[in-house]
Amino acid sequence: MAPNSPPDQKQGFVEIEPVLDTHHTMETVTDKISAIPLSNTLPRSILGVGFAALLLLGSLMGAIFFLVVEGTGIWGINQPVGWGFDIINFVWWIGIGHAGTLISAILLLLRQEWRTSINRFAETMTIFAVMCAGLYPLLHTGRPWLAYWLFPYPNVMEMWPQFRSPLVWDVFAVSTYATVSLLFWLTGLVPDFATLRDRAKGKIAKVGYGIAAMGWRGSARHWQRYEIAYLLLAGLSTPLVVSVHSIVGLDFAVSVIPGWHVTIFPPYFVAGAIFSGFAMVLTLAIPVRAIFGLKDMITLNHLDNISKVMLATGLMVFYGYGMEVFFAWYSANEYEGFMKFNRMFGPYWWSYWALILCNGIIPQILWFKKVRTSPIILFFLSIIINIGMWLERFVIIVTSLHRDFLPSSWGMYAPTKFDIAMYLGTIGLFLFLMVLAIKFLPIISQFEVRELLHKKQHKNGH
Amino acid sequence: MSSLTPSTQNTPASVREQLSLVEARQQLEGQTGRRFWRSLDELSRKESFGDLLQQEFPRFSAEWDPMHRRTFLRLMGASLALGGLTACTRQPREKIIPYVKQPENMIPGKAQFYATTATICGYGFGLLATSHMGRPTKVDGNELHPASLGGTDAALLASILTMYDPDRSQSPRRKGGATAATWETFDAELQAQLEQQTAAKGAGLRILSGPVSSPTFLALMKEVTTRFPSAVWHTYEPVSRSGWYEATVAAFGQKLDPVYNLADADVIVSFDADFLSLGPAHVRMARDFGSRRSVEAGSMNRLYVAESQMSTTGAAADHRLALTPDAIESVARAVAHALGVAVTGSHDTPHAAWAEALAADLKAHAGRSVVLAGEHRSPALQALALAINAQLGNLGKTVTLIKPITATGASLADLAQAIDAGSVQALLMFDVNPAYDAPADLALAERLAKVPFTIQHGLFDDETGALSTWHVPASHYLEYWGDARAFDGTTSLVQPLIEPLYKTRSELELLAAVAGRPGTSGYDLVRATWLDTLGGDLAFKRALHDGLLADTTEAAVSVSLAWKDAGPGETPTTPDQLDLAILPDYAVADGRLANNGWMQEMPRPITTLTWDNALLISEETGGRLGLATGDLVELDSGNGKVTAPVLVAVGIPVGAGVVHMGYGRTAAGRVGNGVGFAVSPLQTAASPHRASVRVRKTGDGFEFALTQESHTIAGRNHLRVGTVSDFKADKKFVMKFGEFGGKETPSIFPPHDYSQGPQWGMVIDLSACIGCNACMIACQAENNIPVVGKDQVRRGREMHWIRVDRYYEGRAADAAVHHQPMTCVQCENAPCEAVCPVAATVHSTDGINQMVYNRCVGTRYCSNNCPYKVRRFNFYKFADHETPSLKLQRNPNVTVRARGVMEKCTFCIQRISEARIKARREDRAIADGEVVTACQQACPTRAIVFGDIRDPMSEVSKRKESPLNYGVLAVLNTRPRLTYHARIRNPNTSLETSSPMESSHHGA
Repeated sequence: MAPNSPPDQKQGFVEIEPVLDTHHTMETVTDKISAIPLSNTLPRSILGVGFAALLLLGSLMGAIFFLVVEGTGIWGINQPVGWGFDIINFVWWIGIGHAGTLISAILLLLRQEWRTSINRFAETMTIFAVMCAGLYPLLHTGRPWLAYWLFPYPNVMEMWPQFRSPLVWDVFAVSTYATVSLLFWLTGLVPDFATLRDRAKGKIAKVGYGIAAMGWRGSARHWQRYEIAYLLLAGLSTPLVVSVHSIVGLDFAVSVIPGWHVTIFPPYFVAGAIFSGFAMVLTLAIPVRAIFGLKDMITLNHLDNISKVMLATGLMVFYGYGMEVFFAWYSANEYEGFMKFNRMFGPYWWSYWALILCNGIIPQILWFKKVRTSPIILFFLSIIINIGMWLERFVIIVTSLHRDFLPSSWGMYAPTKFDIAMYLGTIGLFLFLMVLAIKFLPIISQFEVRELLHKKQHKNGH
Repeated sequence: MSSLTPSTQNTPASVREQLSLVEARQQLEGQTGRRFWRSLDELSRKESFGDLLQQEFPRFSAEWDPMHRRTFLRLMGASLALGGLTACTRQPREKIIPYVKQPENMIPGKAQFYATTATICGYGFGLLATSHMGRPTKVDGNELHPASLGGTDAALLASILTMYDPDRSQSPRRKGGATAATWETFDAELQAQLEQQTAAKGAGLRILSGPVSSPTFLALMKEVTTRFPSAVWHTYEPVSRSGWYEATVAAFGQKLDPVYNLADADVIVSFDADFLSLGPAHVRMARDFGSRRSVEAGSMNRLYVAESQMSTTGAAADHRLALTPDAIESVARAVAHALGVAVTGSHDTPHAAWAEALAADLKAHAGRSVVLAGEHRSPALQALALAINAQLGNLGKTVTLIKPITATGASLADLAQAIDAGSVQALLMFDVNPAYDAPADLALAERLAKVPFTIQHGLFDDETGALSTWHVPASHYLEYWGDARAFDGTTSLVQPLIEPLYKTRSELELLAAVAGRPGTSGYDLVRATWLDTLGGDLAFKRALHDGLLADTTEAAVSVSLAWKDAGPGETPTTPDQLDLAILPDYAVADGRLANNGWMQEMPRPITTLTWDNALLISEETGGRLGLATGDLVELDSGNGKVTAPVLVAVGIPVGAGVVHMGYGRTAAGRVGNGVGFAVSPLQTAASPHRASVRVRKTGDGFEFALTQESHTIAGRNHLRVGTVSDFKADKKFVMKFGEFGGKETPSIFPPHDYSQGPQWGMVIDLSACIGCNACMIACQAENNIPVVGKDQVRRGREMHWIRVDRYYEGRAADAAVHHQPMTCVQCENAPCEAVCPVAATVHSTDGINQMVYNRCVGTRYCSNNCPYKVRRFNFYKFADHETPSLKLQRNPNVTVRARGVMEKCTFCIQRISEARIKARREDRAIADGEVVTACQQACPTRAIVFGDIRDPMSEVSKRKESPLNYGVLAVLNTRPRLTYHARIRNPNTSLETSSPMESSHHGA
């Protein structure tokens, strides 16, 4: 037993705790989780995913190469649709990241114990999703090598960014979010890195995990400081869950374009982000728990809880769609009305109705407990929701821009192969990083599960 | 340099591969852009290239040596075949020497202006050319010249690009390329040919040109005929006007030219005459027409149009009928009959009410009306129009007849006959391209091959050049001396702005050689014509300065009508065939401008089609034939077939189609080759502009590049149209569409201070706008706007800063067409500025929304947030930074934009700055009218007014006070600085009772 573990307790559970299977002991928890990074092999399925992801990563590199050499003209964007896949995917990825922060921070503060076995997973996802998201605003600019002008830094031009622009707010929001999420994730990893360091057999692994563990010895002082730091970071992250996607919502709401100029965007975007984030957690966690046999740690109760969050946020999003229609009618604004009509019955009608189906109607099956505890159904549902949330951004961005005020400027948008290559490429990047994380990191927080176990064993306090 | 220099010393020239200029050209042919230059580079490395150079430029071959790099570079600048080699060479040490005598007023960034003259169908058009450091960069109308009065059209504005066209021919070329082709060898061969002809008094010598008004040319032609009395001069214009002269002969017994005074015409009737866009006087006619389209300034004119196409004139009409030519003629005959003109036979028409109302209107405005017939229509219809004018007493008032301004020779058909008879030994062709554009039944391409010795003199080595013994390159009008006479006889001089860019000669110089005076310079020829007539050098200079010779208008000929109705001249087409109108294109005319990127990319008025021609048919015809936009069809006239894509358009008569000339070029150059389809197979010498065709669907598809795909206003109020009676009933009727200016809403941002200095604003009068696109091309020339190509236009990435929006109103068959020029409206509360993250678009103190290109990172949010969608983004590196000749055209006061930055209208900020600097130096305020934007300057109808809106006395302020003034989307509280005057139509109340706009709008 590693010296950093809490005192060993070999007693079994008295009662059934659905968030952690009963037979676990401190040792089995650590054994099971650390076995994945410390073993020399990976299951074939994971290797297959990793290989496919690598290919997609190649397409990302190619797409970026051509983009930098040729210009944004290789994409399908045009006049009037100045943003296309670039911003759709940016918002989509940012939204996906949200579940991680919510699980880590808010559920921690709310003392939701069931978060423990999925928080590492969700946080990792957050970091990688933000990385994918971050590529887009950088690369979508006409001159990406000058994108640093969006940061406020002292310079000889004596120029500051233009602080009225929501794109500048975005820079602050996303970079803060990325930084805090990264710190939170790394901080949480330190005790587990120490466990891996102590258990590693290979020299490289020992040194590598040793450096990552930053001298963690598990002393009481370490634990005390750690707890404070973690709590503080959780406190810092909490407003970020709300702020980031609110500001992404403001990217649109601040404009004058019908379909963008919508006051409910900030909360509606946050709900959508959490909705899609939890869907992505399911998309990834369901196969992982099956492949690595983690069903005793990521239990059906987890899936049930996640589903309930999705149901709630999904209803908020659906309400948002309803309100948009209501506003279009109630405002009696001809442009607003036309926009809504065009979304429903214009050339992109299919995207609107597919969105309603994916995000509004199909998720209603989550009212049934049977569905909420069926991993297979949930897996497919989560993919449908991911598609739906992508469509939501497509509908907001493309159908608003392609027909705005002056009919003379109306146009159509269609992605090019480079748009698609870049989108698939970011999915590849994300999956590749996830595979790497599964291979090298404890994908379930070991010490937190042990802590949970400890709490369960001393349920009545001592 | 050394790495590129072929080592001619090593191998004897005889054993080396021989390379002719033709081969060199072939190697380069079809290569565009970077590939073109790379091919050049490869070519230049060949050893045989040195030989070729020796052959082509014997005088310069010594300079093909690293030691004389400067001379070499000059040579390269003059030679297309050598362009692009400057890269990657080490610069040798050289001294630069400043001017010993600095040319006066040659200040970098400061433009100089010179008057010169362009020609339209042989008629003169006075221009004012802008020159920067000896480079002409732009042409505009000459305010003193009667054909212009300051305005221009798109084609003239784009003509400057043709001068800098890198595909222009730069050296003579002999067929086969066996003989070294230089001007020297050409001269020798020409003189030898002429010697041969002298014996037969020139019986085998023929000259083919367009109609000519140039007095010097005609004087030289006289010399030629003195030297060769049996030589024959043929003239030929693809846009035929022969019917017009036949009509004047029928009506008055002599050939006459018309001068229409539309400024005095209260009622104008057009029977298929697109007088606002075609003909030598169209800019002036548009000006005069526009001057009578203001409901506030006095009585508006009323325009009736019956036409077989959808023309800009038709779009400007108060009443319009879309009819096939025979139906137009029956309307004309009904009108004539109602007016008491003696017409024989039937004068029935299904449009009797229309004809009656029109006749009554004409009667009420006898002497103050004009009836025009299309010059491509039958002589009978045109003569009828003259007879109606005579009956109304318009002759001498609104219609003046003068002796023909252009001289014409024998016809092209005569030439074809002469070739068949074997009587043509030598043929000299000036600026004509019969191998491409002659009607198919003349089979000129085959016939030209039968002539032993042919010379083609032109700007391009075109389709005809390829068939000729010699192609010799012509100078552009901005490079040579000459003269021309305008539609009313006003004579003006063609003054060169620049030494010929290449080794070229003008028509006059070449004709002088034929006349027996080889080597005479154009300057001497023109001076010889005018010096004595004008009475000295000072008067000559005056004429050059003003751009015209004072008091040279042609006196009116007094005529009396000797017309007898010979029955209708237009026959109906059988119902199973399509009645096809074959018309000059709005952009490339007869194909002359096919290699001009500006024109290819200019949306054709009304259809907004770019980079193509099409078979235009109405929706109903399409339904009958089972055709939709994008279908490829085969048109078969019996004489020839062409394959054309279908574009369903409004305003085309049922059962009729329209195709445009000037496409399907094979030797136009890199821009024009392979664009669209040629229509000449459908043309015949007898009927060049009308054909009956069978239509067969091929089953293939085609994708057009249209700049506007939405046709209607979608019930919105940014285009406001009313009638004179609407205005009289309620002067503020415009406000029924919605208020101008949203309410001042509170803002968390501090407001801009607009209380100091000039505050620039603009008003565009939609009543005057005819949608001709001159503003667009003027802006393109002024602001270095790139051409993006068909594929990019298709993707919606055209770069024009000002565009002409077009909206249809009413049913497709007889929809009204409205134009709305749209450019950055310079919002006082600009949505673009608030969202730019790097402050690349900011507001100036004089109220202009500015783009700082250097600062732009290209997020495109400004464009997304622009309600008017007037911002343009450089998705690629659209600006051509490579082609050397195109660089010369650029306005040095306007940045050439890089890839990845946004751009848009600046209200011609460079012109404002220039005026401000000047005013400040003279310690005064900028006067009203001192700053003229490029679009405003070009506008033939003076629809655009620009100035300081803080000055209550300025023209623009007065216009903004008008009740017709409104702002587009002002409801968004953008406070646009560009506002519009609602379009006022002047319908005949007996034909139309309510405004369709009004009835569809309910004052929402």
